[in-house]
Amino acid sequence: MRRRPSRAAHLGSGAGDTEEFEGLRVRGLTIVYGTEAGELAAVRQVDLDLQAGTITGLVGESGSGKSTLALAMLNAVPSPGRITAGSVTMSGIGDITRLRGRALREVRGGVLGYVFQASQNSLNPLKRVGAQLLDLARSHGVPQPRLILGEAQRLCERMGLDATRVLSSYQHELSGGMRQRVGIVFALVLNAKVLILDEPTTALDMLSQAAVLQVVREIHAERRLATVVITHDIAVVAEMADRVVVTYAGRIVESGATGDVLRHAAHPYTRALLRSIPRISGDISAAEPLPGRPPDLASIPTVGCVFRARCPLALPICSEVDPATVSVGPGHATACHLAAGPLAVPERTEEVAG
Amino acid sequence: MIEVRGLSKTFAGRGGLLGHRAVPALREVDLRLASGGAVSVIGESGCGKTTLGRILCGLESYDSGSLLIEGREAKQMSLAERRERFQRIQLIHQDPYSALNPTRTVRQTMLASLRLRASATNRSKAWTERRAAELLELVGLDPSYCLPRYPHMLSGGMRQRVVIARALTVDPEALVADEAVAMIDVSLRLGILGILRRLRADLGLSLLFITHDVAAARYVGEDGQLYVLYRGQVVEQGPVDEIVQRPTHPYTQCLLSAIPVMRGLERPGPDRLVPLRPLDDNVEPPGCLLADRCPQAQDDCLLGRPPLLPAGAAGHLHACLHPEARSVVAIPEQTASSGR
Repeated sequence: MRRRPSRAAHLGSGAGDTEEFEGLRVRGLTIVYGTEAGELAAVRQVDLDLQAGTITGLVGESGSGKSTLALAMLNAVPSPGRITAGSVTMSGIGDITRLRGRALREVRGGVLGYVFQASQNSLNPLKRVGAQLLDLARSHGVPQPRLILGEAQRLCERMGLDATRVLSSYQHELSGGMRQRVGIVFALVLNAKVLILDEPTTALDMLSQAAVLQVVREIHAERRLATVVITHDIAVVAEMADRVVVTYAGRIVESGATGDVLRHAAHPYTRALLRSIPRISGDISAAEPLPGRPPDLASIPTVGCVFRARCPLALPICSEVDPATVSVGPGHATACHLAAGPLAVPERTEEVAG
Repeated sequence: MIEVRGLSKTFAGRGGLLGHRAVPALREVDLRLASGGAVSVIGESGCGKTTLGRILCGLESYDSGSLLIEGREAKQMSLAERRERFQRIQLIHQDPYSALNPTRTVRQTMLASLRLRASATNRSKAWTERRAAELLELVGLDPSYCLPRYPHMLSGGMRQRVVIARALTVDPEALVADEAVAMIDVSLRLGILGILRRLRADLGLSLLFITHDVAAARYVGEDGQLYVLYRGQVVEQGPVDEIVQRPTHPYTQCLLSAIPVMRGLERPGPDRLVPLRPLDDNVEPPGCLLADRCPQAQDDCLLGRPPLLPAGAAGHLHACLHPEARSVVAIPEQTASSGR
């Protein structure tokens, strides 16, 4: 039901190509929370490209600002948080951070589909799934709300759900994996172009997780979505994402193609994160815990590298100067002073974009 | 040693969708947890893992079979003996936030049970304070930071450590960890798993580790046993690495195939299996419980339920009419290293 200019050109070119860019583009985004201790930045100077046809994995620990960042893509940062700088531009729509009122409501759940972390908490327990879909249609001014039930049915069946049963069920009658799929139906039923999944599999067991990830991958490819998966589990990202964006304390510390980042992780945080995961085969004792504590809003340093307190390789410069984003390979960038050695080529900050 | 033999438990249906249908949670489960040993139990949501853990902690009754603690049948124990013995088996929940009283500081939480312990063993008040600090240090927490704080002031990983420290106040012999790291960030899980591993090595605690994260099971109990539960039945069991590397039951193979592959560092196992459909436990088939989902099912699978039989390698058992070893877990890429 959402209309956007039809597109013919396929994006073969890189993420930096403005004219042909299709998807969601975040530039210089800063989000602060007003607290008793003053305004604290949860997300600082983030650049990110979510390109149509690409699955981006956004990895970060609890408190790294990744959910705040995701909500900012809908211009839905809850108070006392607010966007103080930067833009979120959707091709064909414009800057979402400037939208207000009806225009904003239409974009949310319309072009931008969002799947919430615990979908049992995002569904109304007192209404059947079908009735909630009608609500969605009405709130978005769909001329014939009933028509979207047909679309929802097709989506349900596409995802291996019994559509008639699901649409006439209450949320408590569905299993965790089914609810998560229903969340995806809600996100896509109005023909979303961008699909944002916040911890889509956290509460699921292995088989449901694999099934949900498979469904996301397939729908993503069929509809050529710009998909972003937000998770603390780098293994989920490694399994399904084309690009990985690693966040720490509200900053992007590394980004690149999944294989490159996993094989040649450039940032000490990414390396530590990868080492901290027990693996199913190989030497199990090789796993090492990440030292220290994850950052909280109050303790994030405002100057210098945000990871320095837990970094085994920290230098004096790390506490004095913000590390610049440098390229360490094609489409692979990191913000670390150590990576900015003689071989690294300094680049403009846009290049860190996902 | 804790041992269960032929343990069965059926929950009465509660109406609604279930329509007063009885739900078998455990079907003749045999399991043995040696002193200082580790047993990991894996399976889907709703396959009876949690019920098994709760029965072992004395929190849930069972319909038939026996539960033996040091050779003593639980149903024949006096109330006092039951209390004494089950106190030595402590449960660690999935959600450390709801396991701690939000109105009590960590000090109050720790001292509550330590005081009982002190009066039972004629120890001083100073001992309780010392012991609280000692136990918090044992789980890698800074006592001076944690003791005066309330649960909401701590991170999820710290809260779970407090829960473990509290379990240790009663000098347990066994811990039952029910999805103990599922709600913790992946980056912090290893710290908690490392504690469980150390408690086994240093204090000789035995561990029943209920999880759907097989790699975590491998980390805490590499030398231990892995049991695979499906709809309350043990469908495969054996030494952890034997089951991970050479699973023979299609259900185990489906579970292991579902573990995300770290593409770039690992490549997928060549024989991955995917179940044909999601779990539907509304029907009680006469044959193999997995037959309707099993990609390898044949006609005779619908007829009789296969018993748990030896599978070749020592200690490896499976309940399948057509078992076949398959390589399903990810294989590390030789050329890659996760390091620099």
